[in-house]
Amino acid sequence: MSINLSNHLIKAAKVSGQVALSFSLLLATNFTLPAAELAPLGNESVTTKVTTKPVRDIIDQANLASYYAGDDGRAEARMIIVDENGNRQMRQFTILRKDEKDLGDQDMLVFFSQPSNVKDTVFRVEKQLESDDNRWLFLPALDLVKRISAGDKRTSFVGSHFYYEDVSGRNPKEDNFTLVSEDKDSYLINAVAKDRQSVEFSRYTVKIDKANFLPIETIYFDQSNQAVRKMTVLQVKNIDGIATVMKSRIINLSNNSYTEMQFRHVKYNLGLPDNIFSERSMRTPPKAWLE
Amino acid sequence: MNYQRILNFAIAKPKVIYSLLLLITLLSVAMLPRIAIDTDPENMLSQDAPARVFHNQIKTDFLMRDMIVVGLVSKNTIFTPEILSVVEQLTNQILQLDGVIKQDLLSLNVVDNIRQLTNEQGVNQGVLFEYLMKQAPTTLKASQDIQQAVKRLPMLNNTLVSGDNKAVAIYVPIIAKDQSYIIAEQIRHLAANISTIEQDNLAIHITGLPVAEDQFGYEMFVQMGVAAPLAGLAIFLLLWFFFRNFALIIAPMVVAMATVLIIMGSLIGLGFTVHIMSSMIAIFLMPIAVVDSVHILSEFADRFKAGDDGSKTIKKVMGHLYKPMLFTSITSAVGFYSLMLTPIPPVKVFGAFIGTGILLAFVLTITYIPAYIARMKPETLAKLQRAIALMEQKGKLATRLEKLGAFSIKRGKLILIAFITLFAVSLVGVNRIIINDNPVNWFKADHEIRIADKVLNQHFAGTYDAWIVFSNNQPPPQTALNSFREILDGANESEAKTTIAERYKQWLKHNNHEKVSFFTQDLLIQLDDFRFSASALEQPWLEQLYKVSAQANNAQKIFTDPEMLNWLATLQSAIVNAGDVGKVNSLTDIISTVNRELNSGDDKDFAIPSSSNGVAQTLLQFQSSHRPQDLSHFVSQDYQRTLLWLQMSSGDNQHMASVVSWLDDYIVTNPPPIDVQHQWAGKSYLNVVWQDAMVSGMIDSLLSSFVVVFFIMVLLFRSIKYGILAMLPLTFTITMIYGLVGWFGKAYDMPIAVLSALTLGLSIDFAIHFLQRVRELEIEKQSLSLALQAMFQEPSRAIARNAIVIAIGFTPLLLSPLMPYITVGLFLASIMILSALVTLVLLPAILTLLARRNKTKTTKNLAQS
Repeated sequence: MSINLSNHLIKAAKVSGQVALSFSLLLATNFTLPAAELAPLGNESVTTKVTTKPVRDIIDQANLASYYAGDDGRAEARMIIVDENGNRQMRQFTILRKDEKDLGDQDMLVFFSQPSNVKDTVFRVEKQLESDDNRWLFLPALDLVKRISAGDKRTSFVGSHFYYEDVSGRNPKEDNFTLVSEDKDSYLINAVAKDRQSVEFSRYTVKIDKANFLPIETIYFDQSNQAVRKMTVLQVKNIDGIATVMKSRIINLSNNSYTEMQFRHVKYNLGLPDNIFSERSMRTPPKAWLE
Repeated sequence: MNYQRILNFAIAKPKVIYSLLLLITLLSVAMLPRIAIDTDPENMLSQDAPARVFHNQIKTDFLMRDMIVVGLVSKNTIFTPEILSVVEQLTNQILQLDGVIKQDLLSLNVVDNIRQLTNEQGVNQGVLFEYLMKQAPTTLKASQDIQQAVKRLPMLNNTLVSGDNKAVAIYVPIIAKDQSYIIAEQIRHLAANISTIEQDNLAIHITGLPVAEDQFGYEMFVQMGVAAPLAGLAIFLLLWFFFRNFALIIAPMVVAMATVLIIMGSLIGLGFTVHIMSSMIAIFLMPIAVVDSVHILSEFADRFKAGDDGSKTIKKVMGHLYKPMLFTSITSAVGFYSLMLTPIPPVKVFGAFIGTGILLAFVLTITYIPAYIARMKPETLAKLQRAIALMEQKGKLATRLEKLGAFSIKRGKLILIAFITLFAVSLVGVNRIIINDNPVNWFKADHEIRIADKVLNQHFAGTYDAWIVFSNNQPPPQTALNSFREILDGANESEAKTTIAERYKQWLKHNNHEKVSFFTQDLLIQLDDFRFSASALEQPWLEQLYKVSAQANNAQKIFTDPEMLNWLATLQSAIVNAGDVGKVNSLTDIISTVNRELNSGDDKDFAIPSSSNGVAQTLLQFQSSHRPQDLSHFVSQDYQRTLLWLQMSSGDNQHMASVVSWLDDYIVTNPPPIDVQHQWAGKSYLNVVWQDAMVSGMIDSLLSSFVVVFFIMVLLFRSIKYGILAMLPLTFTITMIYGLVGWFGKAYDMPIAVLSALTLGLSIDFAIHFLQRVRELEIEKQSLSLALQAMFQEPSRAIARNAIVIAIGFTPLLLSPLMPYITVGLFLASIMILSALVTLVLLPAILTLLARRNKTKTTKNLAQS
């Protein structure tokens, strides 16, 4: 409906810190937010909930909910990668994130702790909406900081089923969205890439929870319109008043291999200083912020 | 069992015999539509053969797929916008086909490149992970850039693009081997629709073992539909030529058809698949099934006089022929049954069903034929008698046989010397036999599969796969296990402790027979889970347990050890230098390539990092590509096993076998730095395994049936001398045939191997008939020379006629598009003719010589006394 209303909603959420906006990797949501709490925003909003909103607004809210929770955040992540034979591999890392502004640029650091032979490997990302992201890599055993050249962001994140883009967030400007349907709980949106050559899918659908604007299921389709890849949110938890996705899974539908991403010790609004997002931190991790 | 009673019953109640035969045949025919074709050479090994079990385990563990290889060959470079666009177009269409495993398909436009990026000012912009060719380039320059990139990627160079840049390949992994023919056909169809292929003078070739196998199955069907009926027709025409009487020759044809249908019907009905071997059953049984009938008809025609009672004559004939027919049937059956001693399932089935078919044909012959003849009208019988008499008088065969007889009796010594010489020469030939097989050579040289195979292997490193799997062979890490135990013992009682202790106990139980590490990723995940949920009291010891386990887990990752990896890299280049192997794809190339690009991008950095952690971190980067799953083909997730993918340009078993022994030698002289075990897998290797089993199995089978048949002969003739004599013709025939194989350099392959037992079972027939008749005639005429003279009348004609029937019956196999059938047809025909000749020449010569010696002995003895 009205853009004003949706902006108002976002602002309200941001200010109160009640609407679930979880950071980057943590697909977060304010699933706890009952309809009643929306009531003070005006009667109009209650009716809006069952009325079609402009699809761009829904997407913006979803993006905000998924990747911009709090002003900054920290989480310990554990990925369990399961291949088609059922073999399991584990990867553990800690993520620090700081937003420049909502729906804007972000800084990010990923510190690996397990498996032990990749311990202290670090990724650093400067997410930029208007241009390509800057990415660096530190490999302690090779004593090497290397810039990763801007390229395809739909590559595997360290061998998991999550793509780099699933972790940092796909820029909504790259897709065209249409609202397929909506029921009392969720929106179903269809997305097609503007530059079809830049992606491996022909389209994807995303189901967004109306209560918190969190994408709870995303399905990617191949060129013959077969569903080939699916992201599902498995567990959501309220942290500091921010509902946070604690567990999600991406499955390769053609062979049922999957990666489960689990989060622990999630904290928001830590007041992370800007200067820790630097090359220095890659070689000498800011221990104080990682504990 | 009293045959006389059966015979009387058959003649008295022909309708019962007819109805029974019809019923059984119809029941069997009803089974035929359930036919299941099996063309997988893997099935030459039984399901539980260790090599096969291991091969399939490796396929599963390393996600190795059955691959169709599509090759596009150009006269000039393939790195032009036009050709690369064809590659892109074709690949994208193939990706849409059902049954193709998309994520593992290898083609220029779906694989990744890793390289350094520098901007226009020459400043390094970092390392770049990208598709090698996301879209086909539009300029020649961009095409050449792709060429340069491929040359720097050892995993792709000479695998996806040939060394001479004139050929490009698409590796199409498929979910099931039995779909490869359909998918290959679809790919051919797709290629035909890309008009630019023709414009650019591109040749498209499709190969890969699964295609060859599946195509073979398709042609086998055609083969059975064409060759078997043709064999039936050939036999029918021959019988017509011999007997000139439709009513009469219908009887043996009925026996042959019924035998084939009942045997094939029961084979299919019992749930056996029709393999390349069993597909030949029909064509084998048909000629063999009519042989006994030919004897009966010949003798019946001899004895029957106009006005005689057909039933009485047939009773006489049957009484006379029953025993030799029984014995020849048993010996032939024994020859085939002996194939069941081989460890090759399809050969076992083949032997069992043909052996049974021969016995069935015998039973049908001794019941149905008399019943049929007894019911024939007197006029028909008279006509038959006239026809036979006419043929017997004027036949060219008759005169020639007489001359042959005279020659063998007179020139006994010469013949014996000639045979001994031939035997010696043949033995030398046998020793020269090269044991080799190659399923692709089952097609004729001009078959598209053979052509594709040749062309693609000329350009690329090789389209035949073999895999070497190295696995950690070190004892379990005792120190780590001990400290794990200690920490656990000291832990406070809790759910975590109980669960972990139980896990440890379970592992101890299984560890003795299964070499599974205790410190697995699963254990780490479980410990980590406990750490997450456990109380503060449990945290310290869980922490310790985790530390010990993670350390032990890391220490087991021997294929991140630089020393180990460098050993592998050295082995790889040595194996290629040794010849036979075109290229080795392995973990070391992946690591070195990524390491090079992470560092300077220069060749000097194409090396294994100096620490285990360095290797692991390099691989973590490889996994940040579009195809992280590619790593799983070369190393297990626990880094305790690695796979080397050998590309060989020849599918010949002898080349594979020589690589296997080369590796054994190499490992002895260059022991690996860490104790590892090496095992082979891959189709090319499996072929070697079943071939070895085949060779030793055939020797067992041949020797055992030789002994059994010899005992049957001694029993039949109640004489060791005649027993030995009966074995002589086939001994000579088999030796000569294999001698020829050796001298001509024809490889000893599957069809050739199977022939030995067949020869034995079939060529003994002639000796039995010959010796049986000679002995009867000798008693009748009281003279060996008179008996031998008589032998070269009707009896030798019956033998010659049978040899011709069988030989001609096998000739339609020569029309087959598939080599094994041709080989079998050609060899069986020549074996039949040769063994009939040997019987007719060698036996009279030896009998005469033996008689002469006895005479001189007797004369000497007389003189002495």
